[in-house]
Amino acid sequence: MRHNQQLKSIFVYAPIEEVEANLSEIGFQCVGSSTIVADGKFWKKMLYVNKEETISVSEEIGDAYPKDPVITICGSNHTISSIIDRVKN
Amino acid sequence: MIESSERFLVNRKISLHDDARYGPSTLPDVEFEKYAALLFRKSIRSAVFSRTPFIDDFHKRMYDQGENLHSSSNLNFPRFSIPYYSVEYSINLWGGTYFFSFDALFNSEIRMEKRKGKLLGKEGSLIHVLRFKPPAENVLNINLPKEVMVFDVKNMVKVIDYTSNL
Repeated sequence: MRHNQQLKSIFVYAPIEEVEANLSEIGFQCVGSSTIVADGKFWKKMLYVNKEETISVSEEIGDAYPKDPVITICGSNHTISSIIDRVKN
Repeated sequence: MIESSERFLVNRKISLHDDARYGPSTLPDVEFEKYAALLFRKSIRSAVFSRTPFIDDFHKRMYDQGENLHSSSNLNFPRFSIPYYSVEYSINLWGGTYFFSFDALFNSEIRMEKRKGKLLGKEGSLIHVLRFKPPAENVLNINLPKEVMVFDVKNMVKVIDYTSNL
């Protein structure tokens, strides 16, 4: 399974709640979150797991606008295209 | 790199820091809310005071009600600060070294506990206790293709900057 996985990193215009709902619908569960600081900006980073596939979702916190969550998917082509279809539409 | 068939070695270094880099005054509101039971401030980058007496279990310090924990005129030197992991990924590629680094703040946990001590009496008193929990390691990972080998170095020596106490 692992050898069929691909990497894809995208940012989306959808609010974080919508992204989370979409991931939950296709079987991903949030297993942890952390506040990270990179380049002086604060981000909330969440990790979602479904079997061997993992997705990290990062959203800038603070006064940033617009807040475009960054999604990094390590999963099958099917999972990647499914997520892109859901969050981009 | 991802498209290449070459194999690459990624170095990851995680080190624990407690050098007063992140004080409560400069935290975004969403992050500051986690400490709202203990601390209050007017807005970001304004002075932070303790709302109630509490014990910072990580630093083994007790703060009284109304203490100034992060002065707005001295933002670089907070009296109360949040420890963090400094996470650094680096890769050597065709003679150059490329870095990706970030800091991961410890999570807070606030509980009421009965503690004894000089200020709390021999019988002990109920007081708020703040603990810092390190972030889960899997959240610190970055997704990498299976061809990439990660050479992991953990440096868990506590780095303390005492200049903030001077």
